[in-house]
Amino acid sequence: MVDAILLILREVLEAALIITMLLAMSRKLSISFNWIVPALVLGVLSSWLLAHYAYAIADALDGTGQEWINALLYLSVILSFIIIGLIIAPLLFSASLQEKYLSFTDNSIKPHKTLLLVCSIFAVGLSLAREVAEIWIYLGGFLHQQDLLQSALTGGAIGLGIGMSLGVITYYLLVFISVRRFFIVLFVFLIFLCGGLSMQIARQLLQIGMLTSATPLWDSSTIVNEHSWLGELLYALIGYDSSPNAIQVIFYWIAIIPFLVALAWNWHRRNQASSTTSI
Amino acid sequence: MRISTLLLILLGISPPLYAMAAPEFTIEIRDHLFFPSTLVVPANTKVKLIIINKDSTPEEFESYELNREKVIMGGAKAVIFIGPLKPGDYPFFGEFNPKTAQGLIRAQH
Repeated sequence: MVDAILLILREVLEAALIITMLLAMSRKLSISFNWIVPALVLGVLSSWLLAHYAYAIADALDGTGQEWINALLYLSVILSFIIIGLIIAPLLFSASLQEKYLSFTDNSIKPHKTLLLVCSIFAVGLSLAREVAEIWIYLGGFLHQQDLLQSALTGGAIGLGIGMSLGVITYYLLVFISVRRFFIVLFVFLIFLCGGLSMQIARQLLQIGMLTSATPLWDSSTIVNEHSWLGELLYALIGYDSSPNAIQVIFYWIAIIPFLVALAWNWHRRNQASSTTSI
Repeated sequence: MRISTLLLILLGISPPLYAMAAPEFTIEIRDHLFFPSTLVVPANTKVKLIIINKDSTPEEFESYELNREKVIMGGAKAVIFIGPLKPGDYPFFGEFNPKTAQGLIRAQH
C-alpha cells in the first residue's frame, strides 16, 4: 500500500501544485473557478484515452510513440504557461502591494481573460493527462489481482488525499498575500516549472535516441538525491535533476527565455512610465 | 550533442541518429523481477536496451541514475537508449513493483 501511496502522490503532486497556483490566480483576479471543470474533464478523458490506447501508442513510430506523445504534452503545457506568463507579467510591476485581490474590471487583464482561461484549461488538462494515464495503467495492472487491488486503491486514495491537502494548504497561504507578491510567486513558479518540463522533453528525445547524451554537466546527487523527499519535491517544483546533461540545460534556457524577456520588457516599460511622470 | 545537430532537429531535418548502430541488450521482466538483474554494458558507448515484459501486468522501467522512465505494458516490449555512460553502476527499478523489481546496469571498459 505504501508503494501505491508514494506512486500516486508523486504523480499528483505536480498537478496539484499547478491547479493550486492557477486557482489562486483566478481568485486574485476575481475570476470564477468554473474553468476548472472543463480542465478536469479534459484531464480525465485524455488520460483515459492514453491509457486505453497504451499498446498502440507504445508501438507507434517504431516504438517511440510514448515518448513523442509525452514530449508533445510537455510542449503544449509549456506553451500554455508561457502565454499565461506573458499576460500576467505587467502585474509584477503594476499590481497593488496592499490589496489582496484585483478588481474584475482591471484593464490590464480584462482583454486577455478568455485566452488566460483557455491556457489554464490546457495547462491543467494536459498536465493531468500524462500523470493520470500512468495511474490508470498502474491500477489497471491490479484488475486481475483482486486481493491487491483493494490495497492499491486505498493507497491511491491516501496518496491523492495527501496531494490535495498540500494543494489546499498552499492555496490558503497564497490567498493571504498581496496581489503583486502573489504574481511574483506565480511568475517564478512558472519559470521553474517550464524549465523543468523542457528538460523532460529533452529526456524523452534522449530516451528514443533522437539526441545523444553527453556526460552529465554536474552530479549533485550527494547534496540532494532524487530519491529523497526533498529531491521529489524539488523535482515537482523546478524539475530538479541531480545529473543533467548539456542538452537538458539548453532546453531549460530555451523554455525560460520568453519569461525573462517579458520581465525585462515590463520592467523597462515601468521605468519609462515613471520617468515620464516625474518630468 | 552539437549545437548544429540540435538546430537540424529543431528544423525537423534531423539526421537519422537512431539508425547509427548501437549495441543491443535485452532485459526480461518475469514475475516482477528483472532478468538479468545485473547487465554489463560497454562504457562510453550509446546502448540500445530492449525490455520485454513477460508478465501480464504493466511495469515502469525507471532509473534516476540513468535518467530514464518508461511504461512497458503487460506482454509488450520497449526500447530505451542509454549512454554513453561513464564506467560505474547505474541502478534501475520497476516503479510499479519497487520491492522486487530491482536491477543494475554496470558500465565497464
